[in-house]
Amino acid sequence: MLFWQMAWRNVWRYRRRSLLTVLTIGLGLAFNILMRGIGDGFHEQMVDNSVRAEIGHIEIHRAGYQHDPALLKTLPDPQLIEQVVPHTPHLRGYSFRVLGDGLASTADNSAGVSIVGIDPRAERTVTTIDRAVIAGKFLDARMHRPILIGERLAQTLNAHLDDKVVLVVQAADGSMGAQLFHVAGIFRSGSPELDRGVVYLLRNDAQSLFVLPGGLTEAAILLDSSQSVAQAQNYLTRRLSGKGVEVLPWYVVEPFLRQFIQLDDAFFYIIVLILFFVIAVGILNTVMMSVFERVREFGVMMALGTRPGQVVRMVVQEAAALGLFGVALGAAVGSGLTILFAYTGINLAHYAEGASALGITTTVIRPELTASNLVFSDLSVFCVVLLVALYPAMKAAALKPVEAIRHI
Amino acid sequence: MAQIELGGVSKTYRDHIAVHALADVNLAIEKGEFAAAVGPSGSGKTTLLNLIGAIDTPDTGVIRIAGLELTATPADRLADFRLRHIGFVFQSFNLFPVLTVLENLEFVPALQGVPQAERARRAANLLEAVGMQDLRDKRPGELSGGQQQRVAVLRAILPEPDLVLADEPTANLDSENATLLLDMMERLNGERGITFLFSTHDPAVMRRARRLIQLRDGRVARDEVQAP
Repeated sequence: MLFWQMAWRNVWRYRRRSLLTVLTIGLGLAFNILMRGIGDGFHEQMVDNSVRAEIGHIEIHRAGYQHDPALLKTLPDPQLIEQVVPHTPHLRGYSFRVLGDGLASTADNSAGVSIVGIDPRAERTVTTIDRAVIAGKFLDARMHRPILIGERLAQTLNAHLDDKVVLVVQAADGSMGAQLFHVAGIFRSGSPELDRGVVYLLRNDAQSLFVLPGGLTEAAILLDSSQSVAQAQNYLTRRLSGKGVEVLPWYVVEPFLRQFIQLDDAFFYIIVLILFFVIAVGILNTVMMSVFERVREFGVMMALGTRPGQVVRMVVQEAAALGLFGVALGAAVGSGLTILFAYTGINLAHYAEGASALGITTTVIRPELTASNLVFSDLSVFCVVLLVALYPAMKAAALKPVEAIRHI
Repeated sequence: MAQIELGGVSKTYRDHIAVHALADVNLAIEKGEFAAAVGPSGSGKTTLLNLIGAIDTPDTGVIRIAGLELTATPADRLADFRLRHIGFVFQSFNLFPVLTVLENLEFVPALQGVPQAERARRAANLLEAVGMQDLRDKRPGELSGGQQQRVAVLRAILPEPDLVLADEPTANLDSENATLLLDMMERLNGERGITFLFSTHDPAVMRRARRLIQLRDGRVARDEVQAP
């Protein structure tokens, strides 16, 4: 207890230096928490955008479709899958689709497109494509051969609302299918891939176009959160085991997204390392100075019978006190800023073009404060402080009393 | 058997040049003595005290205190030995500035594992016994040099060591404070039977010692018991 008292009072013996050290630790940690929060929010938003734009959290295909997509690889036993999917844990919505490729043509131009046949009501529960319509209307089952095209494709084809677009495809029976559609709506999703190269049809029209009566290519499933993916995937894999299907989470469907997040995390960890280095230098400087200024005191302590281990403990306790204050300050400031920015949002309107290339379709990033971020950041900084303090502590413990007492 | 025995003890410091601090010193000090190592600067007084206090080691020779041969004892056990058997008073007081007078006195008993209430009681009693109870909550920075040195003596004797080593304890004190300090040391020596060995080159202090060990060039030049 007396050592704790000494350690505590020694911390405040050089008040300005200790406060500066606490500030260094605190601001470093706060920056770390905020950056991690921005990263988490950014990644969550990327995943959410990607998931809500097209793929859902989980996709079910015929086995092998992801590796080698083909028109004929439709879902085996779609009735069974339609019975199983509604019972998925954490389910928010699902949509069964028909997928294929073809050529879209107008009188002026033509372009290769991916064709997605959807049930409009079901699709609304999974993606936000209905909200991306900027002209005309979203698909409706009562329309006659409607087609929804992206803004950039509309520019390429020079197509406008109610214009005719001919889709030419190779059908499942090997024949060339060609059908006329009317532009019911034009969308702007923010994703260049979708806006330039995807068209939406009614599912029945797509089945007719590809000569796939009753055939379905995939089920896209939306969950309440990306944290629920593992549980839902386990359920579906278990229930559909041996049925010749693959149950794929979003990060397998869109590996680029996951790779980008991993790369972004790697950069973040480099920044964290630099930050920890700065904190380490700060605390090392403070503790070294504190030890150097008290060489004679340590000499007296050891002459009186203090063991080297007790000297180490006392110096580390001093650093721990600084660390605790710094961590408390950093956690408060970091959490406060993260919560504030989560509320106000960080406006990235100036970088919207670049962000959309990364799949970010909103211009406001909202940082996320997670328990793991807070606990991991706090513990790491505190451990760095303790580890760094070990060096001067061992230097102090290695002093020879007879020499230390003579130290001026 | 004497409490302190030195046989053929030599110590040489080698920095840029070799300095023979002690050379073939043989000495025996009995329990309860009030002895002074005297001599000019560089004669080896401080080295003698450091070796007996087990904070330094001789190059050759044997040092035995209360039956323990220091020269054959590992460093970690020496720390424990100092804690249990030796009290130190340093020339520059060397109290811990962040602790109060009472806490400074408690420091060694705390290391010994004496419970907080017990060591606080003992420290308070000792302060009262020497009439310094008013200073108990003051920090060293608030005390005069004489008061600090008396607290340092009390810190050394509170754990009831067998031996108190005091290196030039009056060097930084005026004559009045030096007298007060020596009075206290003498009284504690008499009442508690603690052996005091101190170094000095102050003639006034020498007169108070009952035994004078005269050092010159690292050797015992004269060793005499003074008449009371």
